[in-house]
Amino acid sequence: MRSLKQRLVPFWLLGPGLLWLIFFFVVPMYFMGELALYSGSLRSGFELTWAFENFPNALSGHEEQILRSFFYAGTATLLCLLIGYPLAYAIAFRAGRFKTLLLFAVIAPFFTTYLIRTIAWKTILSDDSPVVSVLQTLSLTPGDGRVLATSGAVIAGLTYNFLPFMILPLYANLERLDLRLVEAAKDLYSSSRTAFLKVTLPLTMPGIVAGVLLTFIPAFGDYINAELLGGTGQAMIGNVIQSLYLNQRNYPEAAALSFLMMALILVIVLVYIRFAGTEAFMGDEDDAEGAK
Amino acid sequence: MVSKDRQQGGAAAVLAVMVAIVALVLGLAACGGGGGGGGDSSEAPTAKAGPVKGDLTISNWPGYIEPGKDGTVAEFEDETGVSVKYIEDVNDNEDFLGKLQPQLEQGESGGRSIFVVTDWMAELMYDLGYLQEINSDDLPTVFENMSASLRDPSFDPGRKFSIPWQSGMTGIWVDQSKAPEIKSINDLFDPKYKGKVTMLSEMRDTVALVMKAEGVDPAEATNEDWLAAIDKVKSAVDSGQIRRFTGNEYNEDLNAGNVVAAIGWSGDASIISNENAEWVMPTEGCVLWSDNMVIPVGAPNTPAALGWMEFVYQPEVAVKLAEYITYVSPVEGLEDLAKPEVAKNPLVFPTPEFQKNCSTQVSPPDVEEVEEAWQDVLTG
Repeated sequence: MRSLKQRLVPFWLLGPGLLWLIFFFVVPMYFMGELALYSGSLRSGFELTWAFENFPNALSGHEEQILRSFFYAGTATLLCLLIGYPLAYAIAFRAGRFKTLLLFAVIAPFFTTYLIRTIAWKTILSDDSPVVSVLQTLSLTPGDGRVLATSGAVIAGLTYNFLPFMILPLYANLERLDLRLVEAAKDLYSSSRTAFLKVTLPLTMPGIVAGVLLTFIPAFGDYINAELLGGTGQAMIGNVIQSLYLNQRNYPEAAALSFLMMALILVIVLVYIRFAGTEAFMGDEDDAEGAK
Repeated sequence: MVSKDRQQGGAAAVLAVMVAIVALVLGLAACGGGGGGGGDSSEAPTAKAGPVKGDLTISNWPGYIEPGKDGTVAEFEDETGVSVKYIEDVNDNEDFLGKLQPQLEQGESGGRSIFVVTDWMAELMYDLGYLQEINSDDLPTVFENMSASLRDPSFDPGRKFSIPWQSGMTGIWVDQSKAPEIKSINDLFDPKYKGKVTMLSEMRDTVALVMKAEGVDPAEATNEDWLAAIDKVKSAVDSGQIRRFTGNEYNEDLNAGNVVAAIGWSGDASIISNENAEWVMPTEGCVLWSDNMVIPVGAPNTPAALGWMEFVYQPEVAVKLAEYITYVSPVEGLEDLAKPEVAKNPLVFPTPEFQKNCSTQVSPPDVEEVEEAWQDVLTG
């Protein structure tokens, strides 16, 4: 009997997560999948007709926004990595007693909602703002001297909003790095650069992989930044789905497009993890043990 | 120590909970689906009248009422004792229907008893079976005071389901300190103002104005005329001429000084803080429309909703509102009551001469085709 109780422990522990997944993922997915196969319009009513043509229809004409989403999310992820890695490194090894304060500073923006922070950028980047005047003086603004309502503003917004998602996993990973390994490399006459490239970077790969996924996936599906900081010609695929749902009320096509985007992201993630190696993603416990 | 019985009981409880969850999920899945019935042919219900009391929730556009202690809502509350929740959550007709459609389809209004939507949207909502009919006997003040020109619109002759809230004109808000020379819609396409112009995402406003600029009368326009005008907007989008498409939030870019001109609505002065911004009647004329109070299906407390309509149609209430928001009031004969400077304001009391080139807002012949082309431009 005791063994039965023990066998049930995992279910108890999994329970809340499972419930969450069932109610907020499986059930909505089921409805969305069903909706994607409907046809009709709001006026004539929607009917389940197994309309698989919704899938190709949803893609056609939106290739540009899909590519744009890749470009924006990819650039933002790269920028996040370039900004986030040195920052996480500095917090982990060089911050001393300011470590907690700096970590707090990374998380602090979350105390204000995402939407408000993005709207604040509208003010910061408005055409007559001091920030933009400085950029104009330095000739860093594109053609017509504005920042707001350009691709640059959308990418900057994405980078800003998702930066903590990059920093935190990187930091968690760098924190665990055994500095004696770097010392050992230096003892063996490696330069700082080589020690970083051969020891630190490979050992922090799991953090990089996790950070890239946590940044890229939400950035790809984001529509707030393009909506608020972008102008015409900066719509991402999230904006297209929003327009299909809310403005055109073409629910089946919107559901089909959402599904395709989800599948696309899933494939990319799988390929990426395969490429980066599952150990890198999950964190190789054996290696960590061995290092100790 | 815990007895074996109790342990077994615990295990059984876990299993029972799991089974219940699975059953619930399957049940949900079974009763779900069916995304929208549409085309309800059954008779629309009629909004019930009765004593005006309780709570009332109203959805309206931003800057469309006098706020504060002396404002319209406060006065209504003082007079009737009704507690009003006034939400400014209509920014764009399409967006608003998109947000509420799933609830309306279920016969619910999200707690709202009144929406304010533009003529064509009121018609669409009525056709979809989302609105209640209004008995004119319940609204003596409204039907006594309503302007003659608003009594029999083509989409709702005799006003069976829509009561005008305000009327207005779509034209151009121009920042006079930056581009005083902008007088016509065609000026907005001048490369000089590249990236400094916004247009409304409302197709029936923006595209109609562009057609007028091309010399096409929207009332006579064919689908090809609409699509040609959309093409013209599209090339302006591609060249970076048009900064954004907006709903009522076009005031933001205008206030921040980001644009020199925006296609916008005549009475929004109360939400435009840029002192240099001025509404300009385009040389090719404006688009005329009305926004209407409608009572959705499932609206709680319809007596209070009817009470609100009666209240705002009293000339002394209407004139105060008109003076504040500077749209065209649906109540007749306010000129004599209004302050002299308001009585002279052509945006509040437009003369036929002022509106001579204007066209009433219309929908394209084939709404679906044109709408799709337009949405492609908006999310280009």
